[in-house]
Amino acid sequence: MDAQNKKAFFTGSGIPVKEVYTAEDAKSLNLEKDIGLPGQEPYLRGIYSSMYRQKLWTIRQFTGFGTPAETNARFKYEYEQGATGFSIAFDSVTENGFNPDNPEVAYDVGTGGVNVCTLKDMEEMFFDLPIDKLTTAVIASPFPACPLSAMYFALAEKRGINLQMLDGTTQNDLLLFTVCCNSPGTIPPRHLIRLCVDLVEWCAQNTPKWHPVSFASYNYRENGLNAYQELGLLFANAIAYIEEELKRNRLKIDDFAPVLSFHLAAHNDFLEEIAKFRAARRMWHKLARERYGAQNPKSLMLRFHVQTSGSTLTYQQPLNNLIRVAYQVLAAALGGAQSVHANSYDEGICLPTEQGILLSLRTQQVAQHETGVTNVADPLGGAYYLEWLTNEVEKHSWDYLKKIEDEGGLVKAVESGWVHREAVVAMNEYQKQIQNGMRKVVGANCFESEEEPHQVPLFRPNKEALQIQKAKLAQIKNERDNEVVSQILQELRQVTEKGGNVMPVVLRAVKAYASLGEICDVWREMYGTWEIPFGKIA
Amino acid sequence: MDNKNIKVMMAKPGVDGHWRGAMIVSMALRDAGMEVIYLGNQTPQVIVESALQEDVNVIGLSILAAGHMELVTEVVNLLQEKKVKNVLLVVGGTIPREDIPRLKQIGVHEVFPPGSKVEKIIKFIAENAHNS
Repeated sequence: MDAQNKKAFFTGSGIPVKEVYTAEDAKSLNLEKDIGLPGQEPYLRGIYSSMYRQKLWTIRQFTGFGTPAETNARFKYEYEQGATGFSIAFDSVTENGFNPDNPEVAYDVGTGGVNVCTLKDMEEMFFDLPIDKLTTAVIASPFPACPLSAMYFALAEKRGINLQMLDGTTQNDLLLFTVCCNSPGTIPPRHLIRLCVDLVEWCAQNTPKWHPVSFASYNYRENGLNAYQELGLLFANAIAYIEEELKRNRLKIDDFAPVLSFHLAAHNDFLEEIAKFRAARRMWHKLARERYGAQNPKSLMLRFHVQTSGSTLTYQQPLNNLIRVAYQVLAAALGGAQSVHANSYDEGICLPTEQGILLSLRTQQVAQHETGVTNVADPLGGAYYLEWLTNEVEKHSWDYLKKIEDEGGLVKAVESGWVHREAVVAMNEYQKQIQNGMRKVVGANCFESEEEPHQVPLFRPNKEALQIQKAKLAQIKNERDNEVVSQILQELRQVTEKGGNVMPVVLRAVKAYASLGEICDVWREMYGTWEIPFGKIA
Repeated sequence: MDNKNIKVMMAKPGVDGHWRGAMIVSMALRDAGMEVIYLGNQTPQVIVESALQEDVNVIGLSILAAGHMELVTEVVNLLQEKKVKNVLLVVGGTIPREDIPRLKQIGVHEVFPPGSKVEKIIKFIAENAHNS
């Protein structure tokens, strides 16, 4: 077999590993200071003392397609099947802050996610769903994050829900649509960070249970970067937000650090991923405590969502993906995640079918209720290899973070194209490893089949979505008070110019049924648009 | 045919921004000696106009958000409208198997779904870039 011919062995991120690990490898660790107990500093072993005995991780499937009404039906299906939270996948039109009636985006309306343009869409999407009892993740890129979050907050207010009690998350990650995805509609990163932090600042004061940012290293990883690059960028991003808020002199670290949250990837190397989740908690504790002087335990705890790695799924022999996802979910559980999205096995082919979603839910439910891993907090803690690897991932991650800081910090590293170049090098290397067989992909570069062994059902997006969304917007523009809307948009321009927090005006705008495109146009007119500097990076 | 004489334009029609696949293929084609213009996200209109201006032999479209039938149809129609001939049209991305013959029927020369071997893509383009 190939394995026995290999001269050296590496983790998925290229860290060399020995044949066996012993007490010798973990001897530099101070059991009390470096490892501790779950629920205690440095939180390496988890943020709660009894972990999943106290509360199982939230089953939160990233979902959205077509019209808000169709997504509503899918959410209801998931809820009936035992999902305990929602996560909205918007189409790229919404993520770019465009309206569906923009002729340049016609073919993307409702295709890769749900189209949302006004408060009316948010109302339709959550019709008959108890948003006071469930938590929702608004997976919005930073540019439309303020208006899309505001739509959800406005919906809650209309239902008489106290915003102080409203629980959920907005993605609002600076890198999401400046690095991970190209976004023709967004504004330059140096201005974008201001909107990102406006949402953080406003939520810290008005919606204390809401997480206004979920730093999404999941998406950096999906662009080919490895586990320690993932963590280095994750914390560089968090630092950029913290510095932006602190320089405003409005809030102190403990006023807003408790609402920050994180979204990590579960890739293929099972033990390295568990080590990474543990390392991430210890790193965050150190950063918050030592660099920023945070005192509140909630500021020191890294809360995170895990998404299994879409890029590891194959188009070939798609049923194999069920097995990949199950291992990745198990890694998330053993790593102490607070919520998990299990990818659907059919994602290499199409948007998830109902069958795909059901199997994703069941994968998580089997892990929670049958495997026994929820009985004990950090069950792998103390294993020689795992503790050694946790240290190793952490060490590499600090080094990578230092590299980013040497580039002048994250925002500069994005605008200059440095982060993109790192991703290009990594994705190219990853691809070469698949080509030369160093990296095995079952069904794609080994154990291939001439014919597909099994047929799987296919999901087709609704072709009517574009017309439905356009007609709805036209009707809203007819029915709303357009004078009030333009007056509020004028105010938005002024408050943006003056450097005030934009959220109160954005909330008023969405309540008056201003559309996403109109709100984002205010900022595009002020700052212009920005795209990935592809010319400089490849 | 010498790969140096092959000029490729790689584009993502529409606003879906997932660029990893298009970038990897672009770099592989460049490594194989071809000239590659990475256009990024553009409307079908701009893609066809740029292809004309740059006088490319190959247009590569990367589509991952399910709008492939509509987007490719529009590109094909524009190519016909502008009487562009001799351009090899290849499509990559999350294209369900049953859509591959449908795309070929409207004028796409080859479709490379996820997991396609890069060597295969290079070979196909090298062999067909000047025969389309």
